[in-house]
Amino acid sequence: MTTLDEPRAPAPVTAQAQESLVKVAGLAKAFGATQALRHCTYELNAGEVHALVGENGSGKSTCAKILSGVHAPDGGEVELFGAPMPAPRTPRAAQDLGIVTVFQEILVAEALSVVDNVWMGADSVLRARVPVKEKRARARETLEELLGAPLDLDTTVEELSLSERQTCCIARALVRRPQVLILDEATSALDVATRDRLFRIIRRLTKDGAGVVLITHRMDELTEIADRITVLRSGETVGTLDGRGWSPRELVRLMAGSDRVTEDAREQVEEVPRRGACVLSLKGIQLAPDRRPFDAAIHAGELIGVAGLEGHGQDEFLEALRGNSGGTELVRHIDDEDVVIRSPQQAAAHGIAYLPRERGQAIFNWMSIRENFGMPTLERDSRAGWLRTSATAERLAAYTEKLGIVLRSPDDSITTLSGGNQQKVLLSRWLAADPQILVLNDPTRGVDIGTKRDLYALLAALARERLAVVMLSTELDEHIELMDRVLVFREHELVEEIERATLSRESLVTAFFGQSEEDGA
Amino acid sequence: MSGVALRRPRSPVAERAAPVLRVMHRYTFSFALVLTLVLLGWNLIRTPDFGWTSQLANFAPLAIAAMASTPAIISGGGGFDLSTSPLMVFTTAAFTVWLVPNGYGGAEAVPILLALGAAVGAINGILIVRLRLLPVVVTLATFFILIGVNLRMVEAPLFVRHTWLTDLAHNVGPIPGPLFLIGFPLLAWILIDRIPYRRMLMAVGSNDAAAFSSGINVGVVRVAAYALGGMFAAVGGMAILAVTSTAAANVSQTYTLQAIAAVALGGTHLFGGRGGLFGSLLGAAAIFLMSNLLISFNLNASWLQVMFGVMLLVAVVFVGIGAKSVEAR
Repeated sequence: MTTLDEPRAPAPVTAQAQESLVKVAGLAKAFGATQALRHCTYELNAGEVHALVGENGSGKSTCAKILSGVHAPDGGEVELFGAPMPAPRTPRAAQDLGIVTVFQEILVAEALSVVDNVWMGADSVLRARVPVKEKRARARETLEELLGAPLDLDTTVEELSLSERQTCCIARALVRRPQVLILDEATSALDVATRDRLFRIIRRLTKDGAGVVLITHRMDELTEIADRITVLRSGETVGTLDGRGWSPRELVRLMAGSDRVTEDAREQVEEVPRRGACVLSLKGIQLAPDRRPFDAAIHAGELIGVAGLEGHGQDEFLEALRGNSGGTELVRHIDDEDVVIRSPQQAAAHGIAYLPRERGQAIFNWMSIRENFGMPTLERDSRAGWLRTSATAERLAAYTEKLGIVLRSPDDSITTLSGGNQQKVLLSRWLAADPQILVLNDPTRGVDIGTKRDLYALLAALARERLAVVMLSTELDEHIELMDRVLVFREHELVEEIERATLSRESLVTAFFGQSEEDGA
Repeated sequence: MSGVALRRPRSPVAERAAPVLRVMHRYTFSFALVLTLVLLGWNLIRTPDFGWTSQLANFAPLAIAAMASTPAIISGGGGFDLSTSPLMVFTTAAFTVWLVPNGYGGAEAVPILLALGAAVGAINGILIVRLRLLPVVVTLATFFILIGVNLRMVEAPLFVRHTWLTDLAHNVGPIPGPLFLIGFPLLAWILIDRIPYRRMLMAVGSNDAAAFSSGINVGVVRVAAYALGGMFAAVGGMAILAVTSTAAANVSQTYTLQAIAAVALGGTHLFGGRGGLFGSLLGAAAIFLMSNLLISFNLNASWLQVMFGVMLLVAVVFVGIGAKSVEAR
């Protein structure tokens, strides 16, 4: 764009009034009822790496996607390269401006070759913008620089490892010689050596006057390369730290917010320890290849939280608990007997109930509330093969009262209920089957606060009745309020078990981001 | 991210078969190629005076219908074009009812018909992309509309007088005329590989999110795929005229299902992103040769249908296994 050899200190670190590449103020974006971004303020200068951090759902990716033309903002000002202008409307428009993004998802066309993936989208429909020869040369060079070894340009991407696929996505951004490079958790699948090589390239880019938006959840990456760090919390910018003068503690405090809230909430479920006999155990489970194996034991009457940044192995852990344990031994302890569980069917038969994350996976949309409730327990309500709908209805009525389900008639379609009430119907469906272990995958996502309260109370009551509850949740407060013990996952390993006594927003976030608790919670 | 199961180790049998399957997976048409060669050999043994030109002429409409159905399927997102067969017949009607009486029956008819086919295809594509409608439903609607229009336009079969078009059913010099017809879509497909479009089509079909985020205009690519299919269908219409010398509305649906069977048999993935016209041509050839063969055995026609079904199942199973073998790495 402009030439950049004006007064620049030897190491372009500090962020004074330099040339501004991206500047957003008061950026907001909602998806339906969820306000993903409320008031995001962020500035990227030429020559700097400006990290964007925050816990799950804080709005980092939304901000990145607005800048890269994937989402249109609802409000706020955008200034690009010093001039106020609307946010780019398509990824293509963003790229034409010099803003190139590597997204969190590994976006490759598996059937295409490496070189075609690297140059995907660079041409116009009828004419190539870059000659084939140059494409190959630049792709080869960039990939080699990233991987430290040449990669065959003509193999199809489906034959590559995950790390190599992500490298292709990064190379796709780099070959375009971006002015603004946005890396949205683009290093998550990379091995350490590749990441270091990427950082070397980033340093070169910034030295040449480009700016890099780095979205990451790894403290070590921030220490290594970030010149400035902006922290988002619940869609709002809460502070910007200088890349050199920050401490992990300060950062965690900013990300987590004050822990004032937690103390009030904690009183809600004041309980004596209620851990009973071990009902389910897993030995030596590995959530991904080459990851440290660990053991897990679930006790009766216990509320166990499963936490971590999204996609760090929590889903795989729940899958293992419900019987998809991929060869690891999952043992169900029933009284004095041990039963090895090998499939979800077996798990269900031995008292393990699983509530999937997507309600759509468990709901029969066209059926009534009663039918949805009764589905797995139909046999129980039949006599000589004939269904006795009255029996189902009676049981449903009992649960409707117990769970406080709001419904007009059990014969209405399930889709007439709110999300929270649908969730309750599903929960009662499984409770009616008398499980001993309840595995829940983020049951309160998209549920209003009142219903959440009901669910919390219900889960606490169930635990008091000696049911073991394992619940994945992406909300910190939920863990703090409810759980006896929280298992924190990072990079497909179990990294910490936090007992109720030491549970706080800060201890959780610290564990999420992998900073040892040197100064206590 | 739900439904992530942990991976199980693979069996030694699968390990040994893997290289073959991987070749099949990369060259999606390989199953159809082998099948076609075997069937062709058998045909030649049974009927030594095979009569290449007339066989090719009879084969041309199905072959082109299959190729015309392919781009929409490759474009992914549930892409599908059911309207190919009636569009072919609509082209024959347009030629005999509109063009010939108005003195456009010569070579100038070719660009007109191609444009007509492309326009109908583009309308399909625009409806699908702009209104986000299901391709099967949209093209099923076009299918019915075109059948109706065909019936209105040619109430009784219309005979086409001897023209350049009917000549294409015979030898043109030393070259069998039908090759020009079959060759047109193939040649176009090869030429399209010289511009970025074909790779974009593959990228969009393979992963439209990746394509969009890397700057490809997914909508334009998809609409173009339907337009391309429509244009090829117009060539198919010319093939029908060449072979039968008639425009008849009652053949509107003849090629619909066989064409799709040929596409699948030819290894094009019905979810998009993988495959090509060459595979569809081979798939059509396998179907054509199989029916030839069964007829030469004087088999009941009902067995023909059963054989198509079995062939299709075997092909789809092979494609599926090939894909798994690569995924599991």
